Amino acid sequence: MGTPSGLKDDCEALLSRFQEMDSVRFEDFAELWRSMKFGTIFCGRMRNLEKNTFTKEALTLAWRYFLPPYTFQIRVGALYLLYGLYNMQLCQPKQKIRVALKDWDEILKFQQDLINAQHFDAAYIFRKLRLDRAFHFTAMPKLLSYRMKKKMQRAEITEEFKDPNDRVLKLITSDVLEEMMNVHDHYQRMKHVISADKSNPEKSLDLIKDDFFDNIKNIVLEHQQWHKDRKKPPLKLKVKGGEEKSERNSQQSERCERAESLAKIKSKAFSVVAQASKSRRHRQVKVDVSDSESGQVQTKTTRKRKNKETLKPAGKKVSSRDRGKQFFLCS
Amino acid sequence: MAEDSRGDPACGGMDGRKDPVPSSGGFNFPEYEFPELNTQAFHVAAFGELWRGRLRGEEDLSLKDLPGGREVTDSGCEDAAVARDLGCSLETAAELRAVCGLDKLRCLEEGEDPEVIPENTDLVTLGVRKRLLKHREETLRIDRACRQETFAYEMESHAVGKKPENSADMIEEGELILSVNIFYPVIFHKHREHKPYQTMLVLGSQKLTELRDSICCVSDLQIGGEFSNTPDQAPENISKVRTIIEWSESHDRGYGKFQTAKMEDFTFNDLYIKVGFPYLYCHQGDCEHVVVITDIRLVHHDDCLDKTLYPLIIKKHWLWTRKCFVCKMFTARWVTNNDSFAPQDPCFFCDVCFRMLHYDAEGNKLGEFLAYPYVDPGTFN
Repeated sequence: MGTPSGLKDDCEALLSRFQEMDSVRFEDFAELWRSMKFGTIFCGRMRNLEKNTFTKEALTLAWRYFLPPYTFQIRVGALYLLYGLYNMQLCQPKQKIRVALKDWDEILKFQQDLINAQHFDAAYIFRKLRLDRAFHFTAMPKLLSYRMKKKMQRAEITEEFKDPNDRVLKLITSDVLEEMMNVHDHYQRMKHVISADKSNPEKSLDLIKDDFFDNIKNIVLEHQQWHKDRKKPPLKLKVKGGEEKSERNSQQSERCERAESLAKIKSKAFSVVAQASKSRRHRQVKVDVSDSESGQVQTKTTRKRKNKETLKPAGKKVSSRDRGKQFFLCS
Repeated sequence: MAEDSRGDPACGGMDGRKDPVPSSGGFNFPEYEFPELNTQAFHVAAFGELWRGRLRGEEDLSLKDLPGGREVTDSGCEDAAVARDLGCSLETAAELRAVCGLDKLRCLEEGEDPEVIPENTDLVTLGVRKRLLKHREETLRIDRACRQETFAYEMESHAVGKKPENSADMIEEGELILSVNIFYPVIFHKHREHKPYQTMLVLGSQKLTELRDSICCVSDLQIGGEFSNTPDQAPENISKVRTIIEWSESHDRGYGKFQTAKMEDFTFNDLYIKVGFPYLYCHQGDCEHVVVITDIRLVHHDDCLDKTLYPLIIKKHWLWTRKCFVCKMFTARWVTNNDSFAPQDPCFFCDVCFRMLHYDAEGNKLGEFLAYPYVDPGTFN
């Protein structure tokens, strides 16, 4: 069949509205699902054959958003979407969700991440799907029949749901910057050592600008900040009224707001550090967790609190590296 | 077939199971060779083991019926299991059961018909479907499935969930099911671009010969010979001629890289295959079928669990049968050439019309013609 017309639009509408909600709670998703009456997507007197094909395509489509490179929030949304589609389908017996061997390990890791971060509702739902035997364990994600298509239909990845591919950050990691600084220092020292006048190196050895390294660092920092500002809307705190479990009163929310702005300013100086490539792993900067208030790993999520900090755009666990912090501040 | 089990052919025939070639990290992990087209070759049984290893100890592989009526199960017991698996409190587990219940997904009210599209829907899919329904209402007098659709659905679902009467015929947990497309040899011009095919499900533990035996091909039934003078000697009971697959046959035709081995010695589990890649099956000397294995997966509780029903056909191309030129009712069993009675050459007849037209009451041949028994490709519909 190919993807039925309109289905991609509907799924993406649902997922992007979920993304805007800035939440990973199933409760919020379910509210959205009901408001869109998404369960009715199977209505309309489809005959058996069409019902089967349509449902299969719907599950295949939703599954794509469940895997990398989509953001954490989208992946959780996709999990909820799969749960909804699987349980609301009209086929008897139910159409299954295909999972290929090469994706299973990633999915188990995702489930473990959910449990570790105490996103219990998402973990519960995945567990339930598994117990309900909703999965087919396959070799490849879809059936391959060597159909020579005139145009190769490549699955397009919706850019808005993806972590942006930041080549600048990937190229100039804090690791690279640190090494540059070391090399630069070493180079300066060498110049001193071999010069006649120990305090002032020879002018003839001035081959690069002294502040070259500082400039690069500033440019990269600016770029990072620009990126952050581009992605995240201004920090706003949502306080849900009438929640028994809500711990926020207005005073506290103000304090929290200030604390968060402070954290934001601090994080300007030492932002996301990309993980060094394998060849450089031995030089990977490490974190001193005690000092990080922007440490965003494993924030406990109380069920009703909408904590922006837990919803990192990157699927990876981001930890600010202490050493990185120091060297940015003191340069 | 290309790429049968590698390794020493001399060690075949013992119990059929071979050790996979030692892998350079994930050799048996299905990966695309050409994106979206086909995978690299991998060992079927080893692939199965990779999955089973990951799922062992959990309920994923089980083929038993789930405890009846999930709503009836002891919720306290369930909460304890949830708390244990997720590392949360019992209280949280109970809360999860409430918050994530299926009732939270219901979009229709109590009395609402699940088949009726709600009035003010924003869903694009439903908009499209609504327009289609409207179009059908306006243009079709009777809106129902055509024969081909009913046939296709029947094929797809006729064996689903079947359990064997004899429990010894039950498929084992962890068994692999391969989905195989077998293309018909091109007989008609219209099939040149999009070849019709049938899809069969076969078990990993089944021998190659079992699949071969289940392929119905008209070339098996062809009867050579001209029988206009002796129409009664044309074989009445067309029995399927046993095909003997000798890969050396293919060998002589220039596919030198094949190893000679006997199909009955190997199961699908023993093979190294590329999913999505076209293979060749030859029989009757020169009848060739392209075969593509489109999928391999673990058996599921909802599959047909009776192994005697495998290889199981789940999709078949509906071929229009050629009808008798005279009565237009029965499928043609004779074809004539140079026929003075026939308005066209070649011309097709059913048995009764053929005899009535070409022979007198005593059975004497009238006129001039050549007659050949005809087996219609649609015979197996």
